[in-house]
Amino acid sequence: MPDVIAIVTGFIRENFIAGRSDVTVDPAVSLIESGIMDSTGVLELVEYLESTFDIKVDDEELVPENLETVNNIIKFLKAKGVAS
Amino acid sequence: MRLVHDFLAETARRHPSKAAILHGDRSATYAEIEELSNRLAHLLLSAGLSKGDRVLTVMENSIENVVSYYGVLKAGGVCVEIHDRSTPAETGYYVRNSGAGVCILSKAAAPRLEGVEVPVIISAEAVRKGPGQRVFRWDELDAMPGASPPVSIEEHDLAAIVYTSGSTGSPKGVVLTHRNICSNTQAIVSYLGLHESDRIMAVLPFYYVYGKTLLNTHFMAGGSVVVNNRFAFPNAVVKEMVDREVTGFAGVPSTFAILMNRSIFSKTAMPSLRYVTQAGGAMAPALTRRLIDHLKGVPLFVMYGATEASARLTYLPPERLVRDKLGSIGIPIPGVEVTVRDDAGKELVTGEVGNICATGPNIMQGYWQDPEETARALKPWGLVTGDLGQKDEEGFIYLTGRKKDMLKIGGERVSPKEIEDAIIASGLVHETAVIGQPDELLSEVPAAYVVPIEAGTFDLESLKGYLAERLAGHKHPKFWHVLKAMPKKPSGKIDKEALKNDVLHEVRVA
Repeated sequence: MPDVIAIVTGFIRENFIAGRSDVTVDPAVSLIESGIMDSTGVLELVEYLESTFDIKVDDEELVPENLETVNNIIKFLKAKGVAS
Repeated sequence: MRLVHDFLAETARRHPSKAAILHGDRSATYAEIEELSNRLAHLLLSAGLSKGDRVLTVMENSIENVVSYYGVLKAGGVCVEIHDRSTPAETGYYVRNSGAGVCILSKAAAPRLEGVEVPVIISAEAVRKGPGQRVFRWDELDAMPGASPPVSIEEHDLAAIVYTSGSTGSPKGVVLTHRNICSNTQAIVSYLGLHESDRIMAVLPFYYVYGKTLLNTHFMAGGSVVVNNRFAFPNAVVKEMVDREVTGFAGVPSTFAILMNRSIFSKTAMPSLRYVTQAGGAMAPALTRRLIDHLKGVPLFVMYGATEASARLTYLPPERLVRDKLGSIGIPIPGVEVTVRDDAGKELVTGEVGNICATGPNIMQGYWQDPEETARALKPWGLVTGDLGQKDEEGFIYLTGRKKDMLKIGGERVSPKEIEDAIIASGLVHETAVIGQPDELLSEVPAAYVVPIEAGTFDLESLKGYLAERLAGHKHPKFWHVLKAMPKKPSGKIDKEALKNDVLHEVRVA
């Protein structure tokens, strides 16, 4: 099983940071407050998680506790049964 | 009321202890905002601000943002508010173009923009001082007087320069007076029937004229504004709307697409909600119908406007939206006249398609230090909006398209040329063209076509990195097409129609 953290971080880097070398993805820092992701970014991320890990994310699950930081995303994926 | 900050001052006199702004676990009363904005005005004056001087602010929606807006106005300054995620390069352009001598930075913006070349910085966070630069911290306001400063301001004095993308590429500054903004605010309060019992959920940024109308109209009516900058999590916004018992909500098409498609909004009862407004571009009729169905009789006001009109030009009375006018942008707001004209200014008859033009006390003075663009937009017969449309037999207006080559990304106008210029400036690309590609959430997103200078060594990631440092995120192309050559018209110009047809073809195939 590939490293889930690397997959998620790779997607965020490729889609929201667009090659910038001066921006780092700190797994504990809010992706929203740091300006990396906006409202459509969250939805893009959710679509990616659904297709990559073959899960269904309910509207009720679109909350900061699940998606605010890389750490939260990983925890959420584990709870959805995605092995790390 | 004659001046924009009179909205604040008069409500502070009537209801000093009423909550004006509610933001997370913080709130501020009208009296507190009045006093803090007076203190900021004194700080600006002590820093040397003179009437008519421009003050650039880079702040997300917050209590400090609101204090800055009214504080700059009370000092006789002109507010220049820009996207809170503007890059240092973009910020530098706005400082140079507006001639701003002061820059106010939020805690989040300060670390990114501490190198901006401006004589005075007021910052919520410590920043490194540049050569000859003076830096004030937000907490220095405590030492300033809390009474209104003695500055003589007239209704025809400038209040704001609001940047909007222009057809020439670089953003243009729309110059608005106190009278422009006051008249528009009064008209909106009147047709929405806003009252001191109203409480709006504001997810739209205040640097954007639609967002700013939420603030000014509620301050005029004596209502309250709930600030939530985290629409990335729409469910949290929906829950706060319920908890705070908001009476109003405002959004652009993408706001409603997200709410209706990926949130608990459609399953949540909001008994306190009294009305909803939608502007910032045409919303798909199917989504409008779903929203109307969900709102179950709560009025939906579809509205149309332009930065050049302070914000608002028309609104569609909700009962006509439901009954027979879906697809129309409605009728002019009080005090405004909207006409359909040919290029020579001749008014066209019912059913004929022409330029949507407008006159009224809300129409801008012109573009900042740009007489050529001003002359193109302001004709003897009024503001030429750049939109094409027609009127029906009852005078309801329908838009049919845009005359200018502009993108509308999530409600914000963006010039393709601004993006093209940045791509070419990278030195990696020989030719480029940026066009809009349909997007369910944002209405349109930029798609870039590029012909590399060195095809063998061209690295798209390097180009993306270059743009990331120069353009705010919403201007970054979402789709890239690397071509060997551009399709051209006989004149030698890039044939954007050919590119668009290709894109549409791709969309259909997908």
